[in-house]
Amino acid sequence: MIGFFRLVVIGAVVLSVIYLWISWTSRAAQRRKLLADWEEQALTGDRDAFVAAGMQVYERSLRYRLIVLVYVIPVVVVGTIIYVTNYY
Amino acid sequence: MRYVRWTIFVGFWLTVLGFLHYTLPQHDVVRIVNTYEENTSVSGWTRMFWSSPDDTTSVEATRFVQFIQAVRPNGDVEVYRNEDTGWSWPPYFKFDTANLYAEANDLVSTAEVPKWTVITHYGWRNEVISIFPNAIAVRAVDSPDVRVIPWFNIGLLVVLFAVFWAVRVRWLRFRARRIDPVMQDVGEAFDAAGDQISDTRGWLARQFGRK
Repeated sequence: MIGFFRLVVIGAVVLSVIYLWISWTSRAAQRRKLLADWEEQALTGDRDAFVAAGMQVYERSLRYRLIVLVYVIPVVVVGTIIYVTNYY
Repeated sequence: MRYVRWTIFVGFWLTVLGFLHYTLPQHDVVRIVNTYEENTSVSGWTRMFWSSPDDTTSVEATRFVQFIQAVRPNGDVEVYRNEDTGWSWPPYFKFDTANLYAEANDLVSTAEVPKWTVITHYGWRNEVISIFPNAIAVRAVDSPDVRVIPWFNIGLLVVLFAVFWAVRVRWLRFRARRIDPVMQDVGEAFDAAGDQISDTRGWLARQFGRK
């Protein structure tokens, strides 16, 4: 049993690092894209509010939610391996 | 200098390929001859080639290990061990060692009436240091001429290659954008310094050299 807990703990740490990294990179990319849009369309007004509103739209988007797959996919893969190795 | 770099590259890739060859599953068509259990020494520097038990904290010098003896169609023998991988490395999550032992025993046959099987295994067989591949699964097949396509290996290697390529592309782009201009500046600075030194030497040589 201790082996299982070890795997879970190590997996949780590693997957959390990956999740945070992907999450941050994606947010930074979205922010950069919003700023580029602002420049391109030569908008006026409050740029920070524009970026903040754009980020809120992003947070409700599919791409944002897909990042949670970082946790889901390894669990599914491990479950499949256990099934195929032991019960197939 | 070029030899050193080349040696490091080759050494690195040999290690990676060796690791993959050891860890990825392979399929053998064999006829199982016998199974047995033996008290084997699993300590020493070859410890890494045996499964490490999940629960015990003490390090044992010997342990009972199950083995499966088999013969290939061309007459060569192959001996596999049958051990749990548990929750640790390699990630086969093999817990059904006892079941596999029973299945292997069910498929024992003689040369006159052979029952051919495909054994999925990982690991290397080396007689000199006494290491054995670990059998993962066994299934009966009709004839020794069966064609087994390693789908999982193909898929995994494609994914690994894609990851390597993605990293390589980004590294090259990063190098072209950030490092090369800096190296060019450094190179130009060295050239300028070299010219300056040559000029200075020329002046000194003119002062103290042959008139």
